[in-house]
This record gives sequence, C-alpha cells and structure tokens, in this order.
Amino acid sequence: MRARLHPLTALTAAGSVAVITVAADSWLLSLAVACAAGVLSVRAGVAGRVLPAAAVILAPLCLSLLMLHGLFFPEGHTVLAQWGPARVTTEGLGFALDLASRTAACVMVFLLFSFTVNVPDLVSALEARRVPAQFGFVLASTLTLLPAIAARLDRIRQAQESRGLVLRGGLLSRLGAVRLQMVPLVLALVDDAGNRAQALDARGFGIGGPRTSYRDVADPPAQRRFRAVALLLAAVAVALRLAASWPAAGLS
Amino acid sequence: MSQQSLTVPAPGQAAGRGRRLLEIAGAAAIAATYIFLVLTQPADIASGPVSFSALVALGGFLLGAVLLIVAVLPVLPTSTLVLIPVALVLNVVLGQLMGTTGLPFYFDSIGTVLIAVLAGPATGAATGALSSIVWSFFNPTVLPFAAGAALIGFLAGLAARGGLFRRFYLAPVAGFVTGVLAGVVSAPIAAFVFGGTSGLGTGAIVSAFRAMGDTLLAAITKQALISDPMDKAIVFAIAALLVYALPRRTTFQFPFVRRYRVLAGNAPVAAPAPSKA
Repeated sequence: MRARLHPLTALTAAGSVAVITVAADSWLLSLAVACAAGVLSVRAGVAGRVLPAAAVILAPLCLSLLMLHGLFFPEGHTVLAQWGPARVTTEGLGFALDLASRTAACVMVFLLFSFTVNVPDLVSALEARRVPAQFGFVLASTLTLLPAIAARLDRIRQAQESRGLVLRGGLLSRLGAVRLQMVPLVLALVDDAGNRAQALDARGFGIGGPRTSYRDVADPPAQRRFRAVALLLAAVAVALRLAASWPAAGLS
Repeated sequence: MSQQSLTVPAPGQAAGRGRRLLEIAGAAAIAATYIFLVLTQPADIASGPVSFSALVALGGFLLGAVLLIVAVLPVLPTSTLVLIPVALVLNVVLGQLMGTTGLPFYFDSIGTVLIAVLAGPATGAATGALSSIVWSFFNPTVLPFAAGAALIGFLAGLAARGGLFRRFYLAPVAGFVTGVLAGVVSAPIAAFVFGGTSGLGTGAIVSAFRAMGDTLLAAITKQALISDPMDKAIVFAIAALLVYALPRRTTFQFPFVRRYRVLAGNAPVAAPAPSKA
C-alpha cells in the first residue's frame, strides 16, 4: 500500500507536517508527531533503520540541550536548584523540552520519508515537474555511490595493510594512515567521475530540451488534492504564526 | 562574419543574465534573512517567539540555497556535474574517516572545498547547498545549514581564484576567514531552529557563555567563532594537500584551474596531446 504513494505526496506530507509542527510550537503536538512517525515506520517495516538513525542524531542533541538550558538559562525566573553559577529553572527545562521534541518530530518525519521513498520514482517524479535533470542525477548518483564507496574504502585499506599499514600508535601515525587511504580514494573517485562524464555526454546528458522517461509514476487525482490541501494547511499555519508573533518580535 | 557575431547578442546571453540575477537573489535572500534575524531576535526567548524566528530562518536560508542551486546547476558542464556526487560522498566518508583519528572537529566540508578549488565559486556554492539537501536524506538536521554550506563552497572558490591555494601556508588562512563568516551565518540556525549545538563539547562552550549572561544567539555565535575558523582552516589545509596529491593530469583538466592558475607549478607538458588524438 505504501509503495503506491506518489513520492511527491510523501514529500509534501513530510514537509507540511514538519512546518506545521514548527509553527504550532507545542511540545505535546511535537511528541505526538514523533510517536506517530515511529508507529508508521513500524507499520512500513523500516523501524529497524529509522529508529537507530534517529537515535544517533537526536541523543547528542537532546543531551546538549538539557545541559545547556537545564543548567544555564539566564532568562529563567523559577529556580528549582542552584549550584554556583548553574541554575536549574522551570523555564529552561521547558525550553529544552520544546526544542528537543520539535527537532525529534521533524527528524522522525523526514527519516520516515527518506527510508520509505523509492529513489528512482522520486527522481522521475521530480523530472516530470521540470526540476533540472541535473538535480535528479546528483541525488540518485550520491545515494547509489555511498554504499559503493564504503566497499572501495575497505579494499583500499586491505591493500594498504598488505603493504604494511598498521592502524595504531600516536596521532601522527594515525594521520599518516588516513592520508594513505584518502589519497587513493579521492584519486579513484575523481578519475571515475571523468569516465562517467564522457559516458553521460555520449548519451546526450548535457543537451537541454525535453526528455522522456521509461518510468511512469502513477499520480492519482486524490493524491493531488491531498497535496494541495497539505500545502494550504502548512501555508495557513505559517501565516498564523507570523501574524501572531510579528508585533512581539518587531518591538524587541 | 566572425567579427559580426562578436557584437550580436548571443541567444544564451539573456538566459545568462537571468541566472546571474537568480544567483544574486539567492545571496540576497541569505543576507537579508541573517540581518532580519539579528535585528528582530527575541529579547526573551522563554516567552515563545522562537518559533517565529525558526520559520523565518528556515524559509529564508532554504530559499536562498534553492535559488543558488537553480541558478548554477543547469549550466554546469557534465565534467563538473559528475564531480558533485563525489564531493558529497567525500563530505560524508572523509568526515567519518577523520572521526577515527579522535580529533574534536567535524570536517564535513572537505569535498565541497575540494570541488570549489577545482571548479570555482559558483560550483562550490551549488555543491555546498546540494550536499546539505542530499545529506538530509540520512540526517535531516543538516538541511537548515544549506546556506552556510553554500557560503563555504563560494568562499573556497573565491580563495582559489585569488591564488590563495598557490602557496600552501595561505590555504589555512583562507579557511580561517571562511570559518568566521560561515560560523556567524550558521549561528541563527543553531540558535533558533535547534536551540543549541548537537555536540556535548560545543554545548559546553555555549553553556559557559550563557552562564556569563549572553543571549542564546550571542553565545552560539561566540562558540562558532571559536570552533569554526579552526575547523575550516584544517579543512582547507586538507583540501590543499589532496589537490596537490592528485596528479597534474587530473587537476589541470579543469578549465577553472587552468584559467586562474589556481595551483602552483605549470600545466603538464603533455596537456596539448589529447587535442591531436
């Protein structure tokens, strides 16, 4: 069922939810959105990838926010505890909770999108919307290049180890080891890119004009209506937030 | 005949002017957003309007980054375009590889700087912005920093055009200046969108400034002025090392490198040979 979602519908939904969450500025809504994204990722069968990725991103951020605003919040008035210059204030903890939950909601929603979207479908949908073909190439090329690079880096390391590279010792020898791996990697990548450019040019990649695609992504009218409504809701949320906060921000 | 064609406006000239306008509009959007955010920064962040600043920062900076991409991307030659995915991958992979050395820096713009040195400021800016957008597929918190990444690529390209990569000791100086500007521009994003920095080390520095009574934006800007110039100086030095480690045959195939004499030394003698073949 999820496979039939048009990539732009998923992208619009993710973007609108993130914008509305930021505009709403309520930690309850943020937490609800994050939880909903978690539940959806379980149902889509990608929870095993989304949740660890989100944890790696969010854990340091949340700890940092807790330390920063939990202990040092000069604007806070309600002091709960105090050690020297560090003051735990209700306002500081609330601010940390607001921002951490808001970031968590946005990260979860976008990770759910990027781990469920079919990249070739997304690229061809973007091209059908007259986004420059180069953008689709860069996106798809990078996403397919990353796993290949990891394998290549592994091969380079093995080759250098067979020639006597040892990964231990002080900082200088470690930096030397990094240099022995980086230079062959960069050289091979730049060289590959040159070959790829010739192959692409031979197939008319650099020429402008209309393009046809073998991949046709179905875009049912219901999803178009959904996208329009989602964009409208996001625009209304932003307009309401701007209207509500403008005088306060302008006066200060 | 050929003299006449020099004066007749080429059909692509109007399109070129349109793209230049888009580039300027993108840069203006980023600059205007920064100035607006600093002028209207909420005096009391506890009372709520941080959401307003977050929306303005996200909207303005992303608009600027997208305008830059739209202006630059369609006119790039294929040989430069295929390098952009390489740069993005290098940003990710080299960032992780440097992480194994245990140094407290992030080094997530090595690929961007490398491409900017080889292909110029406009390509560098587009690479930086694209890098953030593509990277956000794995880590959505990178997306709001697209404008800062574009600025890094642009300034690295300018430094290369100005010949700062011809002398090895000048590259870190250019990186230091780039780090100052990029750090200052990125600070409102960290302050208003995330409310802090994502590392415990940088968080501790921000906490110290907060304990002295600074506003959040001031504290994060000061922290960025401590961390970013050092980070970018090292990144520029690494990029310079990599460029000089690449064979001349590879680096001198880029028109930007040949035209502005970006690198020390002469073009390889064998350069004219391919035209005969």
